[in-house]
Amino acid sequence: MTDAIEKNHNTAKAENLEKPTIILGVIGADCHSVGNKILELFFTSEGFKVVNLGVMVSQQEFINAAIETNARAILVSSLYGHGEIDCQGFRDLCLEKGLDRIILYAGGNLVVGKTPFEVVEKKFKQMGFDRVFPPDVDLKKVAELLRQDIRERFSQEAGDSGAADSTVRTRN
Amino acid sequence: MVKNEKIDLKEFYEIRKEVLQTWPTGLKVSLDEAFRYHRTIPEERRFALVMKKAKEKRLTLLQPRAGVALIEDHIKLLRYLETEGQADLLPTTIDAYTRQNRYEEAEKGIEKSKQAGTSLLNGFPAVNHGVDGCRRVVESVSKPLQVRHGTPDARLLAEITLAAGFTSFEGGGISYNIPYAKRVPVEKSIRDWQYVDRLVGLYEENGIRINREPFGPLTGTLVPPCISIAIGIIEGLLALKQGVRSITLGYGQGGNIIQDVAAVTALRELAEEYFHQEGYDDFELTTVFHQWMGGFPEDEAKAFSVIALGAIVAKFSGAEKVIVKSPHEAMGIPTREANAQGLRATRQAINMVEDQVIFKPEDLDEEVMLIKAEVRSLLNKVYEVGAGDVAAGTVAAFEAGFLDVPFAPSVYNHGKIIPMRDNEGFIRIFNKGNLPLPDEIMAYHYQKLQERARAEGRAISFEMVTDDIYAISKGKLVGRPK
Repeated sequence: MTDAIEKNHNTAKAENLEKPTIILGVIGADCHSVGNKILELFFTSEGFKVVNLGVMVSQQEFINAAIETNARAILVSSLYGHGEIDCQGFRDLCLEKGLDRIILYAGGNLVVGKTPFEVVEKKFKQMGFDRVFPPDVDLKKVAELLRQDIRERFSQEAGDSGAADSTVRTRN
Repeated sequence: MVKNEKIDLKEFYEIRKEVLQTWPTGLKVSLDEAFRYHRTIPEERRFALVMKKAKEKRLTLLQPRAGVALIEDHIKLLRYLETEGQADLLPTTIDAYTRQNRYEEAEKGIEKSKQAGTSLLNGFPAVNHGVDGCRRVVESVSKPLQVRHGTPDARLLAEITLAAGFTSFEGGGISYNIPYAKRVPVEKSIRDWQYVDRLVGLYEENGIRINREPFGPLTGTLVPPCISIAIGIIEGLLALKQGVRSITLGYGQGGNIIQDVAAVTALRELAEEYFHQEGYDDFELTTVFHQWMGGFPEDEAKAFSVIALGAIVAKFSGAEKVIVKSPHEAMGIPTREANAQGLRATRQAINMVEDQVIFKPEDLDEEVMLIKAEVRSLLNKVYEVGAGDVAAGTVAAFEAGFLDVPFAPSVYNHGKIIPMRDNEGFIRIFNKGNLPLPDEIMAYHYQKLQERARAEGRAISFEMVTDDIYAISKGKLVGRPK
């Protein structure tokens, strides 16, 4: 993991907008690894710089990786039902650690039991997630939304927040 | 280096002292009291005996998965599955925090579930509920009860649940590590499961037969039969060494009917052979078939069809037990109603085929022989790199990639093999990684995959794998191009 992060870090600055870095992982005590591996392949093929933390990732680990790699988004997966407990306070912790604009997505089977998706979505949006996805979402659509969200949130930023962002000015 | 040797009792009790201290409820476990209690359990609630009878009568017994955070709710759930679902065997599925020994988080989950009025945990936190809490569950049902989980270090969980009166315990040092953990060394999980098996052996020495069930499906995702079978046999051998005598080996439905029936046949015959070869004659071997463990269709009508096919193939395979899915599988943990529906759908399908003989042994010969040859190649290598010791060999084999489970989360697994379906939906191996499979077998796999590639007008590619992984949830077995 460290290797991946270091490698990413070196290239992250220059490529940040063309090839935005995103953090992938399955949160909590969840070990569902199949979808995670597919997501890594998919988002890589879509032109993202993917830092995949794999399964059983804590909020702190997600955030550390995002800081180290100057990531634009954290994509949290959860399939085992404890997502509701595991994701509580995620946005607050991001803010506390200085990630004030990071895009947060959550997807999977996020709660215990069959629940209407609108209910799940509302719950996770209240927790501060920007977008929430059911397990059968069309990944192409997610990639499109992600590119759009990154453009909207980060394109006007040139030089306004920290050294890492100063190199992306050319894209404006 | 870990060896396949019976743990010395003095050493066992030393480890035990530490294990029981890892959570306060551990201190309440008394083996003598547990042995006395087990002797009062009526025959119809003894898992090993019920499995043995199923084998004699050629029955396929039905068992669901189920577990919620709170004791009373869990009892209600199990009773419902017993009455409305007509389950033959009952589970207690353990929550994911307990599986990672995160008992403090499980405790929070219990509290939050009480506040929320619904279970926020995906299973029953048996360690936190302790012997007394678990015994309330045991005494509230009339069918045999098994602990089902996914715990790399299940020593405390086993101590508590067996002392409470559970009569079967799922898992093993490979099958509950590689698919269920990220950073647990294989050597550690094998040792910790030797402890669990030694504990079961201790019950056995005291006249109490506890059933043990290695977890056959592994990651449940395009697992070639030979890998699942080789690992099941290894875990069976490790259990026998510690004194376990009732063993149920498992296999997860792959999807091609011939391959599935052949795989269970090969599993049964090879296990018998290897167990005898290692000098064991007094074991009770049964098999369990898991209905499709991969992604399910969201449409419940379609999900029922997946369930029914699993039921039918389970019966054809001759497995003594089938683990049943529910129509809510695509959405996660089912309601009790959906769970009971899965059981009833399974029962209907099994009842309709139980008197039919579809496959004559010779229909399966080719596939059984192929699987057996593959398993032998894998196990020969395990013995070779372990200098004759199956425990040491397993650790070395995972290190070298001679054993390799597709799509597993563990960093101790190579994850180099690439399986995919052939044109008839058989799971074949495209890239064998370091698996010690002979060239002629690999040539056969390649030839079968080429047939599919030609039929689909595309080259063999990783895209086929992702297509296959999502195929059943999208309505088909083989992931064809659009």
